[in-house]
Amino acid sequence: MISRRAFIKSGGLALFGVGLGGVPSFVTRAVAQTKIISPYQKNKILICIFQRGAMDGLMAVTPFTDPYLKAARPTLFMDASNNGSLLDLDGKFGLHPGLQSFQKLFQEKQLAIVHGMGSPNNTRSHFDAQDYMESGTPFRKGTNSGWLNRVVGLLGHEASPFRAVSLTSSLPRSFYGDNPTIAINNLNDFAIQVKGSNGNMAAQSFEELYDQTSSELLKETGKESFDAIKMLQKTDIKNYKPSQEAKYSTSSLGGSLKQIAQLIKMDVGLEVAFAESGGWDTHFNQGTDKGVFFRNAQDLSNSIAAFWNDLGALQDNVTLMTMTEFGRTVKQNGTGGTDHGRGSCMFILGNNVQGGKVHGNMKPLAPENLEDGRDLAVTTDFRSIFSEVADKHLQLQNDKILFPEWTGNKIGVMQ
Amino acid sequence: MRRAGQAKRKATGLSALAYLLQPASKNAREGRAQTNASIPARTALVPAQSTSILKTIFITSVLFLTTSFVLNPKIKFPYEQAGLTNRQAAAHLLSRFTFGAKPGEVDLVLKTGIENWVNQQLKGNLDDENLKEKLSSYDALSLSNEQILAQFPRGVEVRRMAIRDGAISKDSITDINKKELKQQYEAYRKQKGLRDEKELFRQLINQKIIRATYSNNQLHEVLTDFWFNHFNVSITKNQCAQFIPVYERDAIRPYVIAKFQDMLLATAKSPAMLMYLDNFLSMDTHKEFEIQGNRNGKRKIKPQHVKLANKKKAQGLNENYAREVMELHTLGVDGGYTQTDVTEAARVLTGWTIYPMKEDGVFATIRKILDKVGEKNLAKKGFVHDGDFLFAINRHDSKEKNVLGKKFKAGGGYQEGVDLLSAFAHHASTSKFISKKLAIRFVSDTPPQSLLDKMAKTFLDTDGNISEVLLTMISSIEFWNAESLRAKTKSPFEYAISSVRALDADIEFPFQVNQWITKMGQKLYFYSAPTGFPDRGQYWINTGALLTRMNFGLALAAKKIPGVSFDLASLNDHHESESAQAALITYSHLMMPERNVETTISRLTPLINKPGIDKNINDVANQRNNSNEMEPDEMVMEEKKTNHSEPKIKNSFGDNTMLAQVVGIIIGSPEFQRR
Repeated sequence: MISRRAFIKSGGLALFGVGLGGVPSFVTRAVAQTKIISPYQKNKILICIFQRGAMDGLMAVTPFTDPYLKAARPTLFMDASNNGSLLDLDGKFGLHPGLQSFQKLFQEKQLAIVHGMGSPNNTRSHFDAQDYMESGTPFRKGTNSGWLNRVVGLLGHEASPFRAVSLTSSLPRSFYGDNPTIAINNLNDFAIQVKGSNGNMAAQSFEELYDQTSSELLKETGKESFDAIKMLQKTDIKNYKPSQEAKYSTSSLGGSLKQIAQLIKMDVGLEVAFAESGGWDTHFNQGTDKGVFFRNAQDLSNSIAAFWNDLGALQDNVTLMTMTEFGRTVKQNGTGGTDHGRGSCMFILGNNVQGGKVHGNMKPLAPENLEDGRDLAVTTDFRSIFSEVADKHLQLQNDKILFPEWTGNKIGVMQ
Repeated sequence: MRRAGQAKRKATGLSALAYLLQPASKNAREGRAQTNASIPARTALVPAQSTSILKTIFITSVLFLTTSFVLNPKIKFPYEQAGLTNRQAAAHLLSRFTFGAKPGEVDLVLKTGIENWVNQQLKGNLDDENLKEKLSSYDALSLSNEQILAQFPRGVEVRRMAIRDGAISKDSITDINKKELKQQYEAYRKQKGLRDEKELFRQLINQKIIRATYSNNQLHEVLTDFWFNHFNVSITKNQCAQFIPVYERDAIRPYVIAKFQDMLLATAKSPAMLMYLDNFLSMDTHKEFEIQGNRNGKRKIKPQHVKLANKKKAQGLNENYAREVMELHTLGVDGGYTQTDVTEAARVLTGWTIYPMKEDGVFATIRKILDKVGEKNLAKKGFVHDGDFLFAINRHDSKEKNVLGKKFKAGGGYQEGVDLLSAFAHHASTSKFISKKLAIRFVSDTPPQSLLDKMAKTFLDTDGNISEVLLTMISSIEFWNAESLRAKTKSPFEYAISSVRALDADIEFPFQVNQWITKMGQKLYFYSAPTGFPDRGQYWINTGALLTRMNFGLALAAKKIPGVSFDLASLNDHHESESAQAALITYSHLMMPERNVETTISRLTPLINKPGIDKNINDVANQRNNSNEMEPDEMVMEEKKTNHSEPKIKNSFGDNTMLAQVVGIIIGSPEFQRR
């Protein structure tokens, strides 16, 4: 703590001070251009994207050779052979055309897929299933912390104010808990928002006041807040230019991932980030190679691919993981959609991922293999994957804390 | 760790348990009542180490006088012993029993007399005409659950009906043109006389803000907030969302100073809680369907699945409520129960469900069946219908159970659930758990054990009388000690409301304030876990939230929050401050009564006196439009649209005077974050 503070005081504060004092702006600019060595070591970073609404895993990554699926989905089934629009991954599974951007990542073995993943609790309520997945305790409602908050607690080294950031308007269940995390929709909000000389006065006043308060909590957090502002001031957030011509979509997910990339590049000490993707509850007309599922899938894969591209060499530090609360019925329903089911699939992206493979233990979708006679069975507990990623990417082995009450095996989704 | 073993439970609280869980406890209570029937009203504030006779008097009188006790006028709270002046005591009390002092309120409390004021606040029956007036346009607040379902059906329900009626084609549902679809829904709602569920939640949130701001019965508002959070339910679980307004109104609000067991029972029977923690579908694993058909765990019930005597699949026991009622509502996580107790308690509560509502598409069919059977016949069979609550004996596990060592004989029906909750409510662990939670809310994040012991004792001695527990709390010196002053960090809600109250502001559009509260980290009614928001400064204060608090202070004072208006000059009786420093001193004292603001003033003085800074203290002419307001909500948008010539939003142009700046800094200052 102390060493980091000391550093910021000597580097960042000087910058902040002159910025406010009416010193000619060229001086400010000169200071800004001075390379400030990051106060944080390069840490590993975990990005989680929650696909709210329950993604139809059988449509995202289709076992296209399975005759049962074809029979169960007369209008939704797509094929990879016979001029079908699926993208063949391995002769057995086909990628939905909306996820085309994933194909290259899969081929280059950066992207792994786990199929038949889900929760041991068979609830088909969105709320309950999300709650259980985010708390990491599938049979316990009262768990007061989220699993990512516990991840933060286990990291065990110096913390930045930007250590755990959720790009959402309020704190997600995964972030609930004792360890400091923040939810922020827009990095531009991270400032004292009054312009002109009076605004500077306000900012300086607050810094003075928080520096002298007798409440340790307010004093410490106040310091961190002003440190954080200074860190962000180094970069022009509004005019951010992604590298490698990464093209982010204008969707909410695209915006979130773009800001996460900015935080990563700014070296502000980010280690856990969270974003959301919505619209997966496709009870009606989910469509095939166009329609609502296609658009959602396209947004998901394009946003993630742009982010990955943007990271360039920083990819080595990052693992990105998607998750969704459950899958959808094998059979399509009467309204061209699918209802709440059990197993779904997830995507894990990173350079130390066991990529280019569809993991899991999916059996043919014959009636006797289905859960409750209707759904893709959950054959891989989500905690098995989450804990493996935490273990191999963040070096966190304490599963008793991350996922109490869970004992299971890891499936080798990470190298 | 979490589930203490059977052995530990036996070792810790066996004697208390045996006493509390005796089936004969009711008789014992009656016996006490007889013995002491002639003893008049209890004198309040019995010392904690009361003798057993006093204790008996205490219990008896409380039994008779739960709502109408009278404080002995000679009683004084021990603030003088703690070294506080009358004014300091009043200010401290205001910071705990209200959502923040309004200008001049310290004087008001002193005029009323501190003890009288406490008495008034506990009773909570001060005239509130102004509040009623402010709430008069919120029509949804007086509706029943059934009416709410009829008027504000859930989005999915509207979709189902619209498709059924052919107003919206199935094919258009997922199509690209969302705007058009939205219009179609709107048209359909209009045609059917339905309203958007968002409007219901807006009314719910707005009423909370309005009540907290304007109610004269502040303690009841503070307690409603506290108990709602204790028995949390959440809009995020949309199956229970529609039931939340009635839940707060009928299961929480009437009981905030009553006996704990009454509130526990009311929440247990309320549709919002039954739905939120799934007990509505919990049933005897071995029973087959008779009334409610459902398949596959918690899968949504669809009308076509609802058949009388659907014998396909039993869904069985659901332990969620049983677990949380012990862990979060009563005993606490270390309260000394086991997983077996959870399962057994869940069995006791099987069949506790929601009386199907006519207007609920999913349950309407079952309602028709029940109506046909008739109330009398249902009652004869052992069903219990009480408002929105139904005890469905056909779903109930009628075999013998054993919870916390208390045996429930086979065939206990509805009453055994009531007895179970009563046993929880009277458990020693509950007295400790609830006392601690109250003390954390009203005293500090780490309240002293000596205080907790006194409160827990009162809880047990008074049959869980919340009002008495609060009185014990403020009769204890720990409440007034220096460590307790300014010890709490305001939640975003408390912070926002206290700011508005400190300015004596008028809120025309409460939802604008709500958006700031959300941004500061507290999305009202949306906390998804049953734990409720943590009541800890550390939870609320992080870098992002703290900056938003500072920005809130500046935005509020600069009148950049649409629909919030106030007159800074009139707060100071229209005396103009002669300098920025004078303004700083005057308004610091006005807004933070009885606080030591000397350091604040000395630190800020050089800054506000810096050259180049706007010195126009009261210059309102220096106003300009500002770009950093929050996104206006829909209602404000409409106002803007329709009122071009005469904008209703009076203050949206901002106030950039030095005075506004100074006030903004006071609100955003660390001192104002504390209470």
